Amino acid sequence: MSGTRKGTRPLTGVRVLDFGLLTAGANTSAMLADLGADVIKIESGAYLDPFRVVGKPDDNDGWWNRSPQFRFTNRNKRGLALNLKDKDGQRVIRELAAKCDVVVENFRRGVLDRAGLGYQDLKAINPRIVFAAISSQGDTGPERMNVSFGSTLDATSGIAALTGYEGEEPRISGMDVNYPDQIVSLFATGMVITAVMEARRTGQGCFLDFSQREVASFTLGEEILAASAHPTRTLARQGNRQEGVAQQDTYRCRDGRWIAVTLAMPDATLPDFCAGRDSNAAVAALLEKGIAAAPCNEGLDLLRDRSLAGVTVVRDEKGGLVKGLPYRLDGKGIAIDRAAPDLGQHTEEVLRELLGYDDAAVAKLAEKGVTSTVPNVGEV
Amino acid sequence: MTSSDALPLQRFTIVEVNDRDVPLCLRLASSLAGKITADLGATVLKIEPPGGDPVRRAPPLLPQGESALFQFLNTSKRSLVLDLAGADGRAALARLLETADAVLFEEPASVAVLARGGKATAIEIAAFPVEMDAASRPVSEFTILALGGLLHMVGEPERKPLRLGGHQASYAAGLTAFTGLAAALAARDAGHAAPAVRVSLAEVMQWVNWKAASGAEASGTSPGREGKASEFQIVPCRDGHVAVVYTATQWPQTRALIGDPRLADPKYNTRAGRRQHVAEIYTIMTPWFADKTRAEIQKTAQAKGVPFGPIFSPVELLDTEQYVARGFLATLGKYRVPQLPVQWNGRSFAPRPAPELAT
Repeated sequence: MSGTRKGTRPLTGVRVLDFGLLTAGANTSAMLADLGADVIKIESGAYLDPFRVVGKPDDNDGWWNRSPQFRFTNRNKRGLALNLKDKDGQRVIRELAAKCDVVVENFRRGVLDRAGLGYQDLKAINPRIVFAAISSQGDTGPERMNVSFGSTLDATSGIAALTGYEGEEPRISGMDVNYPDQIVSLFATGMVITAVMEARRTGQGCFLDFSQREVASFTLGEEILAASAHPTRTLARQGNRQEGVAQQDTYRCRDGRWIAVTLAMPDATLPDFCAGRDSNAAVAALLEKGIAAAPCNEGLDLLRDRSLAGVTVVRDEKGGLVKGLPYRLDGKGIAIDRAAPDLGQHTEEVLRELLGYDDAAVAKLAEKGVTSTVPNVGEV
Repeated sequence: MTSSDALPLQRFTIVEVNDRDVPLCLRLASSLAGKITADLGATVLKIEPPGGDPVRRAPPLLPQGESALFQFLNTSKRSLVLDLAGADGRAALARLLETADAVLFEEPASVAVLARGGKATAIEIAAFPVEMDAASRPVSEFTILALGGLLHMVGEPERKPLRLGGHQASYAAGLTAFTGLAAALAARDAGHAAPAVRVSLAEVMQWVNWKAASGAEASGTSPGREGKASEFQIVPCRDGHVAVVYTATQWPQTRALIGDPRLADPKYNTRAGRRQHVAEIYTIMTPWFADKTRAEIQKTAQAKGVPFGPIFSPVELLDTEQYVARGFLATLGKYRVPQLPVQWNGRSFAPRPAPELAT
């Protein structure tokens, strides 16, 4: 299969050099792929996308190609394994950058610069390149080298301070959600597309510097604005209540399930009303009265609910569950053109197709260990 | 950008239709998408119903009574009042849509047919997926969090599920609509047919919560709120709280940071072992935090590469050194507000004040 994919889509003709890892980076390029871009994901035997390791299912050969989290996030991409620490690996990347429109990366700051593959290096080769750098704190400032992992940013962005049981300690979304990681790509993808349009028009690319912490704080824009007007404004945790809403909470029903209800007028009888009914009956009765109510779904419910999971979770050609789209385009969901790549699956194909490498050139890189299809990361 | 003051979307015109009687959670989403494009330079015309967008009166309020929520969500836009219940209002909207590039609107809308049928690409915000056939079902942002499975993930397992702070369902949908809108503009710009975009809050939340589906399929049981059984917990310190967060490979650094010899017990060496003994680990670790400030903890932890997260409130973020150094907070009148969370060749996109309601 070549890089050409069916039909004309919004990003048909756009090529992405993808160094994105885990969710924040890899999902931004996944969303670009879903819109029709040709996404070339770069890993190496010495440095796998950590999702290959986090989702390691067993110790058998090829475990690195079977992680559910990796499969969810990297469908519709081609995968290359090139050692970025090797001079020849770096040369190949620079040759690829000349043929690409976009770079997406979420390494710790400075990693690509040290490999001679930072924005200034690639811009010198390809002035049209749009370089999206997604990092914990952004590319500047005293905390630029700080590390974070998912819920670190619930804490430092302000979200955790506004989350928790009434009057109790703050709460984070936790490692099964890692909420701040999930929302970055929803914004970053749109910004990359905006910059690609500008690069087409002017011939000039740009450096897009995203701070994941800022994205999370941006979702509290009105709270930060209000705090700047009322420096003494303190917000105790208020459970599920919300300013301006008469009554809102989760209530346990007779079948043990929780439901969420939002009321325009307070109703002290609601806990008993819910406790006396099964959750489905309680939700139906409340909706009938014009009251917003819904079951607190969990993962298995989401898999069963075809209408809810219909475009957001889909199956690839191998039958594996993968991430779908957060929106519908012309009423349709995602087209999964290819499953997530095995490590280095498309290295040879892309070097031949984009760079015109012959058998000897391909073989030489493999002999030197620049390219690979197996990890050499030691025991994980 | 060709000159220093040109903005990337300034050649585009977007009409944002605020119909009457639309659930607030949809309005917040469409308004956020419009705000982002407006801050990026697009001409965004916000069509308000007579009396104005109800968000103009929604909390939190600023000292003079204006809504901070409205001010944040409507920067850099223009406003026009149209009565879309009347033929004149609809005709005026139809004329605007003749020349606009895209139209943002909420479902159910009295003007849906008009908005979908014009030359402007339709970007539609709804509560539910089409298949649920639930356009008129009562909805709130909170019930969307429940449907998408987010509530199930936060809190203690034996206690009630909790929502995340802020307007997370609406804003995640607003960010999604912005990206859909950008894709549509790019298609138009390249001379392709642009797809109509439909964003539902319920689908966005389900998509954001994908690990719940992935985990449920892999293990046969639903991941859920673990509270005090979680590896990541909130610990009190001298001046507040800190979120204890570290990856499996960062355990040796975390152990070294706390420096208590009891953590060297081999039973804590694997992730499974640490999960089994979470309570013990926290009993050992908690005293280390008690006499230190958040700033000291962050500095000491980062020096060892450990990503502990001090908990900051919105008012504290105003003085955060990193945000001040990056100029993340823009001046808006007398106050300060977060800018778009991106710098373009080092440049931020300063928002212009939200429009007054025409009288």
